Amino acid sequence: MNATIGRLLLTRLVAAILTLWFVATVVFVITNLLPGDVAQELLGQSATPEAVAGLRKALGLDLPPWQRYLEWLWNMVRGDAGRSLVNGSPVAALIGSRLGNSLILAGITALVAVPLALVLGITAAVYRGSVYDRIVGAGTVLAVSVPEFLVASAAVLVFAVQLRWVPALSQLGRLDGVLDVIRTFALPVLTLTFVIVAQMARMTRAALVDVLSSSYIEMARLKGAGQARIVVWHALPNAIGPIANAIAFSLSFLLGGVIIVETIFNYPGIAKLMVDGVSTRDLPLVQACAMLFCGAYLLLVTMADIAAILANPRLRHR
Amino acid sequence: MSSTTISARRGPMAILARTGRMIMPAIVLFWLAMAFFGYWVAPYDPAGIQDADLFEGMSRKFWLGTDYFGRDMLSRILAGARYTVGISLMATSLAVASGVLLGLAASAIGGLFDAAVSRFLDALISIPSKMFGLVLVAAFGASIPVLVLTLAVIYLPGCYRINRSVAVNVAALDFVAVARARGESTLYIMIREILPNMVGPVLADFGLRFIYVVLLLSSLSFLGLGVQPPQADWGSLVRENMPGLPYGAPAVIMPAIAIASLTIAVNLTIDSLFGRHARDGVR
Amino acid sequence: MSVNDKDILGMLNMSEQDRLMRALRSGASRRDLLGMMSALGIGAALGGTLIGSAGSALAQTPKKGGKIRVAGFGTSTADTLDPAKQSYSTDYCRCTMFYNGLTELDDRLNPKLALAESIENDKATIWTIKLRKGVQFHDGKELKAEDVVFSLKRHHDPAVGTKAKALADQMTEIVATGTHEVKITLKGPNADFPVVLGTYHFMIAPAGTTDFNKGIGTGPYKCKEFTPGVRSIAVRNENYWRQGGGPYLDEIEFFGIPDVGARVNALLAGDVQLIGNVNPTSAKLILSGKGFNIMETKSGNYTDLVMRLDQAPGNNPDFVLGMKMLMNRDLIRRNIFQGYAEVANDQPIPPMNRYYAADIPQRKYDPDQAKFLLNKAGVIGSTIPVVTSPAATGSVEMGLLLQQAAQQAGLKIDLRQVPADGYWSNYWMKVPVGYGNINPRPTADILFSLFFASTASWNESGWKDPKFDQLLLAARAETDEAKRKQMYTDMQVMIHQNSGIGIPVFISGLDAHSEKLKGLRPMGTGSLMGYAFAEHVWLDA
Repeated sequence: MNATIGRLLLTRLVAAILTLWFVATVVFVITNLLPGDVAQELLGQSATPEAVAGLRKALGLDLPPWQRYLEWLWNMVRGDAGRSLVNGSPVAALIGSRLGNSLILAGITALVAVPLALVLGITAAVYRGSVYDRIVGAGTVLAVSVPEFLVASAAVLVFAVQLRWVPALSQLGRLDGVLDVIRTFALPVLTLTFVIVAQMARMTRAALVDVLSSSYIEMARLKGAGQARIVVWHALPNAIGPIANAIAFSLSFLLGGVIIVETIFNYPGIAKLMVDGVSTRDLPLVQACAMLFCGAYLLLVTMADIAAILANPRLRHR
Repeated sequence: MSSTTISARRGPMAILARTGRMIMPAIVLFWLAMAFFGYWVAPYDPAGIQDADLFEGMSRKFWLGTDYFGRDMLSRILAGARYTVGISLMATSLAVASGVLLGLAASAIGGLFDAAVSRFLDALISIPSKMFGLVLVAAFGASIPVLVLTLAVIYLPGCYRINRSVAVNVAALDFVAVARARGESTLYIMIREILPNMVGPVLADFGLRFIYVVLLLSSLSFLGLGVQPPQADWGSLVRENMPGLPYGAPAVIMPAIAIASLTIAVNLTIDSLFGRHARDGVR
Repeated sequence: MSVNDKDILGMLNMSEQDRLMRALRSGASRRDLLGMMSALGIGAALGGTLIGSAGSALAQTPKKGGKIRVAGFGTSTADTLDPAKQSYSTDYCRCTMFYNGLTELDDRLNPKLALAESIENDKATIWTIKLRKGVQFHDGKELKAEDVVFSLKRHHDPAVGTKAKALADQMTEIVATGTHEVKITLKGPNADFPVVLGTYHFMIAPAGTTDFNKGIGTGPYKCKEFTPGVRSIAVRNENYWRQGGGPYLDEIEFFGIPDVGARVNALLAGDVQLIGNVNPTSAKLILSGKGFNIMETKSGNYTDLVMRLDQAPGNNPDFVLGMKMLMNRDLIRRNIFQGYAEVANDQPIPPMNRYYAADIPQRKYDPDQAKFLLNKAGVIGSTIPVVTSPAATGSVEMGLLLQQAAQQAGLKIDLRQVPADGYWSNYWMKVPVGYGNINPRPTADILFSLFFASTASWNESGWKDPKFDQLLLAARAETDEAKRKQMYTDMQVMIHQNSGIGIPVFISGLDAHSEKLKGLRPMGTGSLMGYAFAEHVWLDA
């Protein structure tokens, strides 16, 4: 068992390093194609040719792109993500100050959304074909079909502006006690739950239905095992693979995909940092963020695969 | 209870169920038609400022009210169908078609080709889709071809993954082995043996992916990177009329309903089609 | 209210009455009201009567104490408390809490003394400034000449990276001539120099300051906390040198919310009491809610149609004039800005400026005359590309209105909307017909020098007139107000008639606040009371 996981981890690590390098390179190439550079963006209206040339030189942007790329790559290998071109502070510090916030939001959302999706998916699979199943199916499609900015704005309007139950902004500065935490995170978590529950629930249902119709479940049923026991002991472990993958995919979305929620609730997370980076053409920052998102995705997918191996006796003993 | 009463009771229910089944495809067909003819059907010039208040409610003159700039909302939604339906349909088709082709090729050819394509697309999937869209659109401008290609590229890896796994499953079935034994070419096997058995899953995938494409296009529009004014897709319509939300202005609610009706209708339509195809597949 | 007082109110037109009543309701002080009255042409005696009877019931005495939270627009890790480096409104708001300048600008952009006790000049070239005595910095040190010399000389050091280099370069010598006296010599005469000293970047910090993040100055509030990109917390300075006014509040927490929708929601939900930079569509919503108010600040900010005079079709004067006549200024004011704008007359000096030339006949929307001129220019039937961008406020909508008007005149306009990113470098002043957006500048001289002098690098339409350049230099040196006003009037006429820019409206700045927050009134220097709201607001809890 350890050998299987060890081998998996090793191959994944090598693949991850290559993938990260590839992603950073793609991002470097594309951001170099963006119209305008950091000097022009910083100077805005006062971007006279002389001022732009001067600032470019000061920022080292007068070097040819390949030279800048190699320099960046060499620094990255040594573990230095460089400095922001906009304010000169280290990229690692900028990301560090925001990453925690993003992880908190992602963590709380996962705590709410994953159990909810599992319960919906499992119950729908158990009562497949029933009215309940159909309601869950249509409900999840409906939830995923409404644009998230509309959900978020409508929620703010109702719960913050009209009812005043929760603040309109999700600020971390003034949290006293559990109630404050709940109030602060209620709306962003609600919005994000809307977005990610559907896919996880549908996947869970599909995977379980598949397993439940297989012959060995029929066998267990003939042996007289109860419905709950069948689902939890016999079916679920075999369905973990696809379910864990769907969860991993949804969770990776919670880091980089939440830009709209961060915008509407003015939440200082990492997605907004990257968008700011793109709009100011702050290349080192954009690259570091892209690599971070990519790394998080790869990590989650690997964890999902390991979970599948651990849960499934057949895979475990291979 | 005699059989006649049963059928009598069933009658209205059956009609109801049948019309229920018809509604979803009808909505899909309606929006498809609007994608082609919406601009001409529109009662007013979609970009023309009418002699009206901003965020007017529904009235006989302006069926869906007016927007933040005093333009007729019904006309703007009808004209916007061209962008939302058109761009999403093209992008989804492009993504699914390339996904199917690559997945087929990967399963039929296998080996190094399979590994290379899989790893490459895995790397793409790891970049958050909104970020990737943001960077691509900022780099190449928000023209319609760029939007279609961007959306297609973003959803290609997902399509590929699913189609490859389906194709690999089909390729492992007996009749494919038989075809190989007959000495058929790889191309023949791909097209004549594997592809016809993938239709169901491919269509089901198309539906869900279409939702995501429509929503991502709307999100890009919300971030100001979608279709550019004076043209507007439904996402842009929601975004530009956002200040009307507190008044419950139809200008912001109606385009959102349009988006939801399109995505739900497409999915339920495909669900019913998928059921039939799945039965056909058993044959 | 007695009959007499009603008559006085009757003398004012509707909007003036409205303004007065709103000022009364928002807790304007007696001094503020008298100022407004005199601006409206009501003598102090009459005004005194009005305030005495009607006003005293409504005008409230400011209360001390309370905390507020304020959301500005935009925030980033580049936020600064270094006066020389301020670049966004959020920086201005913070620096006015913690620092003062030698002078400050009143609501009509006239300079008033602040840290300076007196300012004298010799031929507008050599300026002697005496400092107020007994003014303390937040760390207890007394304000001396060396602090002023330090704060002004910093702008000459390239390592500082000042945002006011162009203005600072005119000072050739800055020396202390006593413990409380400074002599400044200019490169050439500049009668506006006291205004320059009142701009944000020339605020005074103690000599030798290296860490500006502590925000030590002479201002009405002390800095308790400052994290760039996150927030600042200011507490009342009990030793503030200016008597008889603010600061009133115990504490002000200030941060940025870039998204306007989120900003408005934060106000309506009661999370914050004051927000900057509201758009006209949200204004209606805020006013419809109970307990909120909008403060409109008339400003010189404008978005203009730019027609390059050195390229076709702008090289034909008939085309330029025709296009100016196609701008439906009333519709722009009403539909795009919801009335929160003033109709402008194709010249950049706004009505509140003391040099505004009110007598130039207003150019009107005249499709027939425009059609005649465009036909004469030979462009009828052709297609003219016009570039718009979200970077230039309202230009996208202005372009749509222009397109509709042009269509009726037989001219086809091909609107090209380009992204805000890179707009100023890649499109502005480069395309034959496009839009620009110019922020207000404190003096007519600065505005003209930057945007209309023949050699100005931001001469938007490429308009060159040697006579204008001569007038500009002469007006700068002129200390006789009447003569100066005539010169500036002539220059405005020249721009109105001949330059290639069309200015449809001056766009007002809009801020919104809880009705419990009092003491706010519009200032000509900019939104949020010229960003200096902190000293004047108080909470009526």
